[in-house]
Amino acid sequence: MLTLTHFLVLGAILFSISLAGVFINRKNVIILLMCVELMLLAVNTNFIAFSHFLGDTAGQVFVFFILTVAAAEAAIGLAILVVLFRNKRTINVEELDTLKG
Amino acid sequence: METIVFYVFSAFMILSALMVITVHNPVRAAFFLVLTFFSSAAVWLLLEAEFLAIILIIVYVGAVMVLFLFVVMMLDVNLAELKKGFVKNLPLAVIVALAMFAMIFMVVGGEQFGVQNFAVPERHAADYSNVSALGQLLYTEYVYSFEIAAVILLVGIVAAISLTLRRRPNTRHQKVEDQVAVKGADRLRVVKVESQPRKHTIDNAEVKK
Amino acid sequence: MNFVTPDFMPAMPEIFLLSMVCVIMIIDLFLKDESRGATYVLSLIALIATAFLSFSNFSTESITTFNGSFILDPMATILKIAICIIVVGVFIYAKDYLKDRNMYKGEYFTLGLFGVLGMMVMVSAGNFLTVYLGLELLSLSMYAMIAMQRDSIVASEAAMKYFILGAIASGILLYGMSMVYGVTGSLDLATINKAVSGADRVVMSFGLVFIILGVAFKLGAVPFHMWMPDVYHGSPTSVTLYIASAPKIAAFAMMYRLLVDGLAGMQADWQMILIILSVLSMVFGNIVAIAQTNIKRMLAYSTISHVGFIIMGVVAGTQAGYGAAMFYAIVYAIMSVAGFGMIILLSRAGFEAENIEDFRGLNQRSPWFAFVMMAIMFSMAGVPPFLGFWAKIAVLQEAINSGFLWLAIVGVMASVIGAFYYLRVIKAVYFDKPTDETPIQASMDIRLTLSLNGMAILAFGLYPTALITLCISAFA
Repeated sequence: MLTLTHFLVLGAILFSISLAGVFINRKNVIILLMCVELMLLAVNTNFIAFSHFLGDTAGQVFVFFILTVAAAEAAIGLAILVVLFRNKRTINVEELDTLKG
Repeated sequence: METIVFYVFSAFMILSALMVITVHNPVRAAFFLVLTFFSSAAVWLLLEAEFLAIILIIVYVGAVMVLFLFVVMMLDVNLAELKKGFVKNLPLAVIVALAMFAMIFMVVGGEQFGVQNFAVPERHAADYSNVSALGQLLYTEYVYSFEIAAVILLVGIVAAISLTLRRRPNTRHQKVEDQVAVKGADRLRVVKVESQPRKHTIDNAEVKK
Repeated sequence: MNFVTPDFMPAMPEIFLLSMVCVIMIIDLFLKDESRGATYVLSLIALIATAFLSFSNFSTESITTFNGSFILDPMATILKIAICIIVVGVFIYAKDYLKDRNMYKGEYFTLGLFGVLGMMVMVSAGNFLTVYLGLELLSLSMYAMIAMQRDSIVASEAAMKYFILGAIASGILLYGMSMVYGVTGSLDLATINKAVSGADRVVMSFGLVFIILGVAFKLGAVPFHMWMPDVYHGSPTSVTLYIASAPKIAAFAMMYRLLVDGLAGMQADWQMILIILSVLSMVFGNIVAIAQTNIKRMLAYSTISHVGFIIMGVVAGTQAGYGAAMFYAIVYAIMSVAGFGMIILLSRAGFEAENIEDFRGLNQRSPWFAFVMMAIMFSMAGVPPFLGFWAKIAVLQEAINSGFLWLAIVGVMASVIGAFYYLRVIKAVYFDKPTDETPIQASMDIRLTLSLNGMAILAFGLYPTALITLCISAFA
């Protein structure tokens, strides 16, 4: 018998994995972008699970919009990545040290 | 039955998500991400979100991930350099992830999301259409948000084009209007050539002039 | 299914602005580089007309339309007008800077206007969905604007950093929203507010923490401020000007919508977290700013401390407190736009007046702009009778009225520390020998706008009551 908890725990695992990914891959911007996609996937799973168990379609509408925005976001993120690569010949974030904080 | 499906696909999802963050090669990571999306689409089907499950595969796997792969292939990434520091960050990452999971688990794992508060809903009838249910909400209650989402996509187009489109001065373009407007005289010039006795010393350049 | 066509009138400014951006974008396609001025003029007209439409839409009651997605209340109207006017200033300052650096493209203006649209959506958001969409519309436009200087290494780095951190912050914000949705069963802020009391406490606080984290990132409050100095420094000044001013007003509105409109029932919980953020931002921002030699970085840290004050007004948790915070946000935007305007005034083709040294001896080069610079710095430091002083007083007063005396004392101490680095700039302007003798080359419209901007800081400072009353009445 599948309860809401099952799906929420799945979302929690995905969310934690994506956070770990952000920490591990601090160098590789492409994988960082993928970690962001994973994080949004966790959020979407949460919303869909709640929407199903609450019997309220609004949650699914939210997911629809998150997917839309994430697609636009990925396009812009990759465009910035291409610009950065043309300038620096690397995608290593830790080499991004021209700006000292 | 459903429980088995859930566990199988969740296992796939978690394993491939772990692979996404641990492999070094961005191409492999992208393919594992595709696998993660596929298995989560299956999990979403269990939650009767058919439209979103299909959109996830069509839009995400079909478009966004392909875009990722294009960019990865286009950029000549030095992989060896990116591997450094991986082991150094690993313990911290594991600790952060475990702590985060423990925290969320305490919140969502308890009784408040159990069966007594959230009863397992009845399955919809066979003629229920998830697409029309979503569509009716999108174009009525959420029409304002729908329009803003359209604007966001427009911003995406404008931004991506203006950031990456480069006009190199030496690229050759096809000028359609010139091609259409061309006249016979522009292409072919009839030159009168004096007939001469056969000689080997005809100066070609003079004829062309 | 019974569906009533929503009332479009309250959203008229947004609809008008969107149509104008589309028109401007298409016109811009057919313009040659020499006639780019048309895009610029049309953008200014669009903004002024939008401000005017918002003004004519003013209503003292709160109107909701589009099924609760859209709220029009006095706060929304005032903030929309403020955002439009400030972005008019931004565009005027940015024009020559862009021209000199071969960045004078239509996209700066179209993306800037899309950002304004995003801010307006955030300001009158009625549910989680519109808050999120407005936020993303604004953020995506900003990421692209920063990276627009394509051959600059620092600009693309700044854009990438901002993008990654911003995307992670949005993800965390969304996770919090999903939790709140789960326990209250609604995305609508008003409905959530009613359902808070019956909802599970633990899950609600968990969602609340994640939501505040997202908001704090967008505001740039410590400890989620890491991006601000780098992004302010790395972006072309024309874009820093934009990022540093109006979006903070929108971020304040977002904080108000989420925490007060949506989660007022959790006030005791969010007050605790906001106090920590406020204290850290005020103290950290002011102390680190002292060590900066680059004026853009210095202003970034000064922004962080101002954000601490805005949060303090919200901490007060009363209608008057929100009014004071809103007043502070608007005042901050006016000062910030003037501050970065000064940097642009002193910059010219091939030269960036980024360091404090570049301001040395400004008094000998132009006594008038030295005075304007002094007004801006004194106002930021909170010296009477300039505008910034009244903003600080209003916020501190409300904090004391709500019983946060110690928080107000921390705020005063932080501003005393902060006064040091503002005074250092004024010392450079008046008492140091100029290192850069070239006369100021800025064109007439920048000089005029900057003078007006500086005068506004002084004039509103001498007669502050009107603006304060307006802000406080928005919440009454």
